[in-house]
Amino acid sequence: MRRWTVRAHLAGLVALAAAACARGERAPAAAGVVVTDDAGRRVTLAAPARRVVSLLPSFTEILFAIGAGERLVGRTAWCDYPPAALAVPSVGDGMPPNVEAVAARRPDLVVLYRSGPNVTAAEQLERLGVQTVLFDLNRLEELGLVARRLGVLTGRTGAGDSLARAMDSLASQPPIPGPRSLVFIVWDNPPIVIGAGSFLDRLAGLAGARNVFHDIATPSAQVSIETIAARNPDFIAVLSDTAATPRYADRPEWRVVPAVRQRRFLFLPGGLFGRPGPRAGEAVRQLRRRLERSP
Amino acid sequence: MKYLVLAGAALVTLAAALLLGPANLPLSDLPGSAIVWQLRLPRAVLAFLVGGALGVAGTSLQALVRNPLADPFLLGLSGGAGLGAVAAIALHLPGPWALPLAAFVGAVGAMALVYRLGLVGGAELDPRILLLGGVAVGALAGAITTAIVSLAEATELRNAFLWLWGGFSGASWTTVLVMLAYAPLPLGVLIAAARPLDLLALGEEPAQYLGADVRRLKRVVYLAASLLTAAAVAVAGVIGFVGLVVPHVCRLLWGRLHRTLLPTAFLTGGVLLAAADTLARTVVAPRELPVGIVTALLGVPVFAFLLRRWTVN
Repeated sequence: MRRWTVRAHLAGLVALAAAACARGERAPAAAGVVVTDDAGRRVTLAAPARRVVSLLPSFTEILFAIGAGERLVGRTAWCDYPPAALAVPSVGDGMPPNVEAVAARRPDLVVLYRSGPNVTAAEQLERLGVQTVLFDLNRLEELGLVARRLGVLTGRTGAGDSLARAMDSLASQPPIPGPRSLVFIVWDNPPIVIGAGSFLDRLAGLAGARNVFHDIATPSAQVSIETIAARNPDFIAVLSDTAATPRYADRPEWRVVPAVRQRRFLFLPGGLFGRPGPRAGEAVRQLRRRLERSP
Repeated sequence: MKYLVLAGAALVTLAAALLLGPANLPLSDLPGSAIVWQLRLPRAVLAFLVGGALGVAGTSLQALVRNPLADPFLLGLSGGAGLGAVAAIALHLPGPWALPLAAFVGAVGAMALVYRLGLVGGAELDPRILLLGGVAVGALAGAITTAIVSLAEATELRNAFLWLWGGFSGASWTTVLVMLAYAPLPLGVLIAAARPLDLLALGEEPAQYLGADVRRLKRVVYLAASLLTAAAVAVAGVIGFVGLVVPHVCRLLWGRLHRTLLPTAFLTGGVLLAAADTLARTVVAPRELPVGIVTALLGVPVFAFLLRRWTVN
């Protein structure tokens, strides 16, 4: 019964998001738009941006989801969703941004993830007369805030708000207690796992799986194999686009972990699970399905 | 007497390493637990062996280049190992042992290059040339590593650096056996060179007059110490500080004669690193600290205390 309600709720959310995306919207009259970004700067555009460069795959997905995809004139090499994004010229891997390549696209707005090198790149772009906006996007809770502000900046306020409401609603749901537990192993030597302050931990909770390292407050942490073995998760979740068993699975020290020994791996596609984006609900459903299907 | 003390310390350290851990096993479960036999014991033994190897390699290299700042990784080895590890990941080399093997090959490659530089123009492993060559080769390897990281399309390359900072997560009976099979030869060679190393401390010419084959001694010691370090890198990454400080601690406590210095450096290095790893595993559980942080936090105060005693005398 409980499971059914959650499913229905998720389906509703996705429908809501889809509706928000589909609803055709007229750009508002060419008035100035203002948002405050996560670096605390007031970003003022004379008119909604028409030539946008997105320097994070999540931003690219959000821009397409709110119907601002055709305003994109540049993206990173990692931006592979939706497929239409691949038609937008790439400006490199964005780590750090190639300022010249970005400026050459003559954007009127560049959207950057707030990190040290990106703050520097934003300052350089501003000196070239290109406006920039810096957003945090590490957690499910931040998706709504970003969607809303990208909506304002691209003149898609209504769509941005709808997507934001859908994301906020997903983010406000409590985790579902389920019988299954898992560990996200990001790296094997030293073992790095995902903790509570992360997008993946929230996805697991919403899918009804308990992250065995939910007690670690930071997004990721180094732990010992012994701790993983002692916590004995049902599944090892790995961000990977192929179902190739990780090479550490054959190492003797890892075989002390029962789930590794029994090859209980969940391979989660990086494009869907590795970045917070509008498809978060889809990721939750997919993870739930995978957990139910696995014995 | 000193050996008795060190053996006692080694036993206490080993016992602590077996008893303590984040898994909180009840005492009655310990004898049959896979966590103890497959994780804690091999990890403690490996940490001991690597610590000992680094202690001996550091002592020998400090004697060879007659510089108290020398450390087993100084001569380009860490740079070479890093390049090997990153290349293994970038090239998607298969197999569970690809990374350690590539790191070993990288370290030995860097070592060979520095060795060759040390012989250019009849320099005969002049300490100054060795140190400069080590820095240059390390910089070259670092540059190539950074080029690979910035050009390759693999976010996991960042994690190669985590591995390089060193630790014993990869310890298993297999890695212990690798060290046990490999280390005795270079260790034996270095301990056998104890007496000529004492002579070398007087300077190369006096050592030559007193009967040491300085040319051969330097080559053998350099190769043995570097191969020992390369093996340590392959199984545990670059663990700083042990190879630098342990020789000084032993010299301050037990004198400068290499016949005592080398075995005590082995035991002291082993005890220090095994104890540091136990702390790294337990103090912030369920998280774990990089072991290099613990060796520095443990070692620096001891070192400072000894230095003070030394200068006061």
